[in-house]
Amino acid sequence: MLGFLDRDHSVAPEGYSRWLVPPAALAIHLAIGQVYSFSVFKTPLIQYFTPFVNPANINKDIGYIFSVAIAVLGLSAALFGAWLEKAGPRRAMFYAAVCFGLGFIIASFGVRSHQLWLVYLGYGVVGGIGLGLGYISPVSTLIKWFPDRPGLSTGLAIMGFGGGAMIGSPLGNQLMAHFKAHGQPPIASAFLCMGILYFIFMMFGVFTIRVPREGWKPEGWTPSKKVNALITTHNVNVNQAMLTPQFYLLWIVLFCNVTAGIGILEDASPMIQDFFKGHVLAVAAGGFVGLLSIFNMAGRFFWASLSDFLGRKTTYFIFFVVGAVLFFVLPLTRGDHLNSVPLFVAIAAVIISMYGGGFATIPAYLKDLFGGYNVSAIHGRLLTAWSTAGIVGPLVVNGILDHYVANHMAKQDAYPTILHIMTGLLVVGFVANLLVRPVAEKHWMAEQNLKPVGSGH
Amino acid sequence: MAETTVRKSSPLLIALAWIIVLVPTGWGLTYTVQNALKIFNVGAAPAAPAAPAQK
Repeated sequence: MLGFLDRDHSVAPEGYSRWLVPPAALAIHLAIGQVYSFSVFKTPLIQYFTPFVNPANINKDIGYIFSVAIAVLGLSAALFGAWLEKAGPRRAMFYAAVCFGLGFIIASFGVRSHQLWLVYLGYGVVGGIGLGLGYISPVSTLIKWFPDRPGLSTGLAIMGFGGGAMIGSPLGNQLMAHFKAHGQPPIASAFLCMGILYFIFMMFGVFTIRVPREGWKPEGWTPSKKVNALITTHNVNVNQAMLTPQFYLLWIVLFCNVTAGIGILEDASPMIQDFFKGHVLAVAAGGFVGLLSIFNMAGRFFWASLSDFLGRKTTYFIFFVVGAVLFFVLPLTRGDHLNSVPLFVAIAAVIISMYGGGFATIPAYLKDLFGGYNVSAIHGRLLTAWSTAGIVGPLVVNGILDHYVANHMAKQDAYPTILHIMTGLLVVGFVANLLVRPVAEKHWMAEQNLKPVGSGH
Repeated sequence: MAETTVRKSSPLLIALAWIIVLVPTGWGLTYTVQNALKIFNVGAAPAAPAAPAQK
């Protein structure tokens, strides 16, 4: 019955336009990107669950829903990446749609029955598996369809993940308002509705995705003869890739870039209000957070596309050099120094664009170094850097803020310390990126072990 | 001699696929931009009742 999900059934017929593939990938990423807008449910969930759980821990308990989802995202991407390479993108996208939609529905029952553990299981675990599978499923397919522009193609998809929060936030708010006005339980009904809507939207991606047939290449395109040592024509198996220093260097690169970005994102709204006390109010700070999400999304497309021309190593070189300088000077813009809100906003926007760009450029960097054969699986394992950063980043930021508050020091004085720690992290990332060299020949796969592209590896 | 014709994807179909993903993106982007514009309200403190002039 589910035979249509097989890779063989998703091979594109002759004449199939490759421009149908990015919308398929976007349908998945725009849906799963909802996770970044989960905060719209935070306050309603806190108010709803307060009578049913220990009120002293309610903030943490509700916060865990998002943390579990992101942790499971990284784990499932790492675990299922190799399976995805065999099963094909359509089957992986289908399971992603089922898990993500089902996660919402289970969470809806959890809310209705006041069982918080069901929300963890639904949105966090089942939905988190959908997130991980969905995040990596279109990557290698896009790279095969766009061998001439791998950065642009993966940038488009991963930009969708940033855009998903922009859809999820108003959708969640408006659904809750609608159900409340009609006397329905707002959170549970919104979850149920979103589960169904996102499943249908993701199924559009499942039906539209195709893998290129054997030997396909873009019309009129011939692989560049120009030799670039950092762009291999060979392939490295996922398990072999784990034995190379390049994998761990890129892990550090991604970890440092993401952790630094979290240094701003984690406390964007209070940071701008503390830097410009009495001048920037909560409403304007909310606008600042919105502006950052636009630059986060745009940076994913802009930097990943630009990396096709600059090269991946140069692109990360820019992130780490420019990023380190900007993080270092950002505290100078505050009220008691330069006192420039526009300068603060401009610097933060550029920093966040590079945070998004780091996410979107990494698949193409992996493809350059390890070839396209197992790139989804390798990407999946590398995403553990994201999960780790998701834990370490907030720990550092909140740990320092708590320390300042506990010792009766001015909270705004904590931010320069945080930002300078992030500068140091970017220097570590800079060194790791600088050390990246081509993968040694001993790790390459033998040509006879490669099944043709499009026919199922 | 039998001729084989390659059926290319219809441009209409391609446009439709893009519309399906761009419409919700545009909706979300509009909402976010409207929200982001509030950053330009910097310094606009809520109106307070006029205080008597200090001597």
